[in-house]
Amino acid sequence: MTEQIDKALAREYEAGFVSDVESETFEPGLDESVIQRISEMKGEPEWMLEWRLSAFREWLEMEEPDWALVDYPKIDFQAISYYSAPKSMKDKPKSLDEVDPELLRTYEKLGIPLIEQQMLAGIAVDAVFDSVSVVTTFRDKLEEAGVIFCPISEAIKKHPELVKKYLGSVVAKKDNYYSALNCAVFTDGSFVYIPKGTRCPMELSTYFRINEQNTGQFERTLIIADEGSHVSYLEGCTAPQRDENQLHAAVVELVAMDNAEIKYSTVQNWYPGDENGKGGIYNFVTKRGICHTSAKISWTQVETGSAVTWKYPSCILKGDNSVGEFYSVALTRGRQQADTGTKMIHIGKNTKSTIITKGISAGKSNNSYRGLVRMNPGADGARNFTQCDSLLIGDQCGAHTFPYVESRNPSAIIEHEATTSKVSDEQMFLCRQRGLDPEKAVSMIVNGFCKEVFKELPMEFAVEAGKLLEISLEGSVG
Amino acid sequence: MSEWLESAITRAQGINDWLLPKRANAIELLSNTKWPTRKAEAWRYTPLRSVERSVAKAINDVVGLSPVDITDLSAIELVFVNGKFDATQLTKVLPKGLSISLGKNLDSAQQKGALETFSSIKPERHLFGLVNDALAQDVVVVTVADGVDIAEPIRISSLLSQGGESHTRVQVTLGDGSRLAVIEDVQAQGDSLNTAFVEYHVASNAQLEHYRFALQTGSNISIGGSHFNLLDRAKMHSTIVAFGSDLSRLDTDIIHAGEFADAKLNAMYLLDGKELFDLHATVEHAMPNGTTEENVRCIAADRSRAVFNGRIHIHRDAQKTLAELNNRNLLMSNTAEINTKPELEIYADDVRCAHGATVAQIDKQALYYLQTRGISRSKAQVMLNFGFINELIDLMPNAALAEWVRPIIRERFSQMEVK
Repeated sequence: MTEQIDKALAREYEAGFVSDVESETFEPGLDESVIQRISEMKGEPEWMLEWRLSAFREWLEMEEPDWALVDYPKIDFQAISYYSAPKSMKDKPKSLDEVDPELLRTYEKLGIPLIEQQMLAGIAVDAVFDSVSVVTTFRDKLEEAGVIFCPISEAIKKHPELVKKYLGSVVAKKDNYYSALNCAVFTDGSFVYIPKGTRCPMELSTYFRINEQNTGQFERTLIIADEGSHVSYLEGCTAPQRDENQLHAAVVELVAMDNAEIKYSTVQNWYPGDENGKGGIYNFVTKRGICHTSAKISWTQVETGSAVTWKYPSCILKGDNSVGEFYSVALTRGRQQADTGTKMIHIGKNTKSTIITKGISAGKSNNSYRGLVRMNPGADGARNFTQCDSLLIGDQCGAHTFPYVESRNPSAIIEHEATTSKVSDEQMFLCRQRGLDPEKAVSMIVNGFCKEVFKELPMEFAVEAGKLLEISLEGSVG
Repeated sequence: MSEWLESAITRAQGINDWLLPKRANAIELLSNTKWPTRKAEAWRYTPLRSVERSVAKAINDVVGLSPVDITDLSAIELVFVNGKFDATQLTKVLPKGLSISLGKNLDSAQQKGALETFSSIKPERHLFGLVNDALAQDVVVVTVADGVDIAEPIRISSLLSQGGESHTRVQVTLGDGSRLAVIEDVQAQGDSLNTAFVEYHVASNAQLEHYRFALQTGSNISIGGSHFNLLDRAKMHSTIVAFGSDLSRLDTDIIHAGEFADAKLNAMYLLDGKELFDLHATVEHAMPNGTTEENVRCIAADRSRAVFNGRIHIHRDAQKTLAELNNRNLLMSNTAEINTKPELEIYADDVRCAHGATVAQIDKQALYYLQTRGISRSKAQVMLNFGFINELIDLMPNAALAEWVRPIIRERFSQMEVK
């Protein structure tokens, strides 16, 4: 059995390779001139540059947070290159045929058949290769519905009124250290606007790829669902193998106007580092949504990658009767460290939130849930239910739970429960009795453990997530 | 650093006695301590402004204060008045196998042993624990010999006059297979400040029954700690009953340093007015096969603020641990506040750990049911509140104490105004 574990833990990162696309990359380092250059490269208006610079000045005054249960060498922000774009950008492809074949081959190697996926699943893919959106498809169909789905750099130029109004409205520039850094240096990301009363005709999807060595990734996503609209957004990622740590500090802002609904799903499988924890992505992400009256935001995430994860997708339930949901599966193995959870801030009356998290730790990893549920004095009749379950596989890992519960309203009801256990001998015995080998049995038990979360994922993602978990767990049976 | 802490350090530097090495260590740690703001995790919900502003002064008068009488309780009274140990109130002849002595009166061999164990359980992170290390002068050492069962409980009372400041410290050691019950009680008058810390070394197979009452309310600052070290098969059962004050903070640390140790902690606190009570309960499972069960219940009314931090830490070697924490809170007004944070930090895989926390108000249906039976709404509220807390009082092993505290709690409920 131990051999199996060793074998599985020594498994090569399947998405690990560096593709050979020429790219234009800044020298490492960060000062105001770098930000000016980024802004210039993106052809941004003056107000955007000002916005970036003010964020940068705030960032200089801030301190790196140290409260999370993660341990990593100090990041040298001057050793990071803040811009990298595929060269073929200059003559931007009009269709898939024009896309750099090397790029397409990269996707193929990853098992993301872009064309097939578009045709079969009907998904519009806004693929981010390093930092610049290269392919945006199905735009016509979306335009017909009035949906805007484009790179945020394009939105800054074409829809400045929307961007000005909402960018930084949910996650303030100085919200935290990494969000401030993101505001200063973000290169691209997605922008979505769903008009009033519109149900987005397809699921929107962006594949983030980190490719250039030594390149920090600073995506910025802004999704606005106007009154009574509905959108489901998928975010998935995987990265080539490398041996230097990469910083990823994305910011995602969601705005759900009255009666709108946003469903945001993530599958994250970035390079977690080798068996000694060398290399691997640092994933320091700020994700937050605001719900107006009767709106709903649902975050679902399956986190299996990255060396260090620091991520708390949150909901501000401002409007009465609004709903926030957070479903999470976080799997860590090797020397991975994950400190992830959510914040539910109940402001409006009769607001409801549900938090279901499943943490699975294997190898020498550490997996923490950190969450906050706050009931403000005005949150009459608000309701929260939180369930955090942890599963330990092996005796060298750690599973931790840090829930903050703050209530200032007597009519609000908060329930929190957390359990920690291992795959029980009884469960294993039962499965093996029925002829399953230990690996299949564990995979089945873990899948069952995560079922509550997987059922919240869109179909395509649920399949991918189940597969991801299975591969990640191969042989981790003790 | 705050002026208050600076003055505490200055005062501590003037003390020269048998505890000097420990005191010096505490002073050094304190000198390097940043005065906690709300950004400090341990004081996130409990601002220390009132400590900074405190004008409480050490009072040398030891006369005129004696602990409140507990009906039907016969105890060995260990009384501190304004921080000084009042030997005149220890009137009982001590049973065989029990020794109680001021640290400075121990012989040099005993003193050496006491010095070694002093502050060995209480973690250094407790800022006011360090203040207590530095300033407590009459340190009392209680020792129970191996295999001795002390029938009568020891009652440690810290009494404090109006405007006084005191720092009391007791060190309790239970020998192998011995049994002891200890009641800790602080009774402080207004505008006062006290720190009261007790450390318990519970040896193999020993059993400790522990109570801590913090029933003083009003304008006093009361910061304390009860810290337990459990060796193989040691058992402890602790009950904490507290009301709030301007600032009341209690830290408990239970360390499973031996295998098959068993710890139970039942805590209840009832807050009214502008009171604040903050309980930080930490359990360290350092060895295998330990069990811990914690029940924490709170009722917060009016403009009060309740803080709870319940941390269970399972170390790498602590396989086969069973640990459970149940935290239930009733919020009675929308100007009151409950902040609770049950934490699990687990590094061993073959363990069963769970925690649960709820915050809500009294079940409306239960209230309605009682009203349909002709009970007034306010009375029904008191009954339900009382029932909620009484479940834990029923678990107190000492019947006389339970009988004593029940009416005090009932009285408290009838005063709580429902808003």
